[in-house]
Amino acid sequence: MLQISNLYAKVESKEILKGIDLSIGAGEVHAIMGPNGSGKSTLAHVLAGREGYEVTDGGARFQDQDLLDMEPEVRAAQGLFLGFQYPVEIPGVSNMYFLKAAYNAQRKTRGEKELDASAFLAYVKKRVATMKMETKMLHRGVNQGFSGGEKKRNEILQMLVLEPRMMVLDETDSGLDIDALKIVADGINKLRSPERATLLITHYQRLLDYVKPDFVHVLSGGKIIKSGGPELAKELEEKGYGWLQAA
Amino acid sequence: MQTLDTYKKAFAAIPSAARTPQRQAALDQFLAQGLPTRRQERWKYTDLSRLQTLTPETSGVSEADQSWTLSSNADAMDALNAAFSSGGLSLDIASNTSSEEVILASGTGHRRHRVKIGRGSSAVMRLEIDPNAEFQTVFLDIELEAGANLKLLRLHNAADSAHHVTRIRAQLDRDSCLDVSTVDLGGKLSRHDLEVDLVGKAAQMNLRSLFFAKGTSHIDNQTRFDHRASHCSSRETIRGLAQDSGRGIFNGKIVVHPGAQKTDSEQRIANLILSPKAEIDAKPELEIYADDVKCAHGATFGQLDMKALFYLRSRGLSEADARALLTLAFAMAPLKDIPVAAFREEVTALVVEKLGAKVDDALLA
Repeated sequence: MLQISNLYAKVESKEILKGIDLSIGAGEVHAIMGPNGSGKSTLAHVLAGREGYEVTDGGARFQDQDLLDMEPEVRAAQGLFLGFQYPVEIPGVSNMYFLKAAYNAQRKTRGEKELDASAFLAYVKKRVATMKMETKMLHRGVNQGFSGGEKKRNEILQMLVLEPRMMVLDETDSGLDIDALKIVADGINKLRSPERATLLITHYQRLLDYVKPDFVHVLSGGKIIKSGGPELAKELEEKGYGWLQAA
Repeated sequence: MQTLDTYKKAFAAIPSAARTPQRQAALDQFLAQGLPTRRQERWKYTDLSRLQTLTPETSGVSEADQSWTLSSNADAMDALNAAFSSGGLSLDIASNTSSEEVILASGTGHRRHRVKIGRGSSAVMRLEIDPNAEFQTVFLDIELEAGANLKLLRLHNAADSAHHVTRIRAQLDRDSCLDVSTVDLGGKLSRHDLEVDLVGKAAQMNLRSLFFAKGTSHIDNQTRFDHRASHCSSRETIRGLAQDSGRGIFNGKIVVHPGAQKTDSEQRIANLILSPKAEIDAKPELEIYADDVKCAHGATFGQLDMKALFYLRSRGLSEADARALLTLAFAMAPLKDIPVAAFREEVTALVVEKLGAKVDDALLA
């Protein structure tokens, strides 16, 4: 599904990613953990195509195409989804409009027929219920006045609506209380399937109690310094990152 | 020195019966003062020199149009409008009535309307301009009696060669409310003055204003609200956009006079510059001579939020659609609360068209 090879990237002339190798197959859930400033969010933004993130070496292929060659909206239409660590507030654009515009834009890019308004409304309402949100939020501005937890739930709602192939979730668990964490985890698990892959970027073990990863990687200093199974996350929770960085 | 010969000649050609002493006096005042120049503070951003040699429209001027008087403190623009006025609506709405929407028709040439809304009455009015006029001035004087309520709608969407000066003056008595929704989408030059005197206790003034200067449009908005009595409130939501070589100006003055305690005024101006050559000048001005008042104001300038742009694109919207959507969302702030649905829909559709956006207006949030 996603192959990242020897990826180097700069932000404002500062090198952040220093040779990342990571291969994610269909049906797999990978977790990337690591201390602050290790390059986790940079990796997420590079994959989604944010401006200002310059890839200086290496590459990434998504479903056998050059990912880095695509505009952000093309990546989205091809099935890549980034759950933002800090979702953006867009006053004046309602959640409903945003969801519909995004959904139909992706379908159009893929050459599929757009869904009409009433069919789409039913489609969205079902997913709003899954996320235990109130339908009236659909008429509020995108993330406007939302709490941190509501914003994260809204990210997962967007994901459920867009049904991506590859989900990259950047610290989606941060700022969530335990009830919200469970709802978010349920949303992620709902999309788990043999055709889809997930990359969870997180600081903490606790999300991984609800969304069980197949692989765990430790990112430090812009490189993956250790990979293992779910037991690695537990080990990190107990010992922290120091023992790995020192090694 | 301005010769203004074309104005003298045009006046001389008006049928003699219509060249009343009042008109002659107004013309004399106009000729003596001349068109405003950029040396005058209130005109510093707007150059009228190209109007000096223009021939004013006089075809609608007739003897019958004498409903106006020129006040002692009238300026040159007021005098010009009075001298060449082709009339306008003069309307008295009786007390405690509610009227259908009234159109203050553009007619041709220079227009002078006068409206008085009786005690406790409410009305909706729409002020029109002639979008193809080379040069038109439109004056509207409003008087709201106690408890009267007027919703005033103004859409300015003129031809690329059109020059307009619009001035709305209002006097608000106790507990009355003037609610103005104004949308400026261009023309060569559009100058709009809104001067409101809140003279009665607890009078209320609401202004929603959007201006979008595109191409070579020059849009100059000047507002002045005089709070002269206690417990009055004013609310202003202003959005300015400039694109290409467009130029927008918003000057919002609020004067709180001695004794106007418990004044509650709020003015929010936000501007979006869409091209490197576009320019917007915005200035909030506050003069406060009372000590128990609440006055909030703020002016911001910016470009599109790059984070929001990326967020939309990461969800699949093309860059062009994402830009148009963000711009429209910005412009909608004053439009979404326009209290007359038909007008709201009309201007929203025009703004969408102007932005070249393929977005429908169901985005209201």
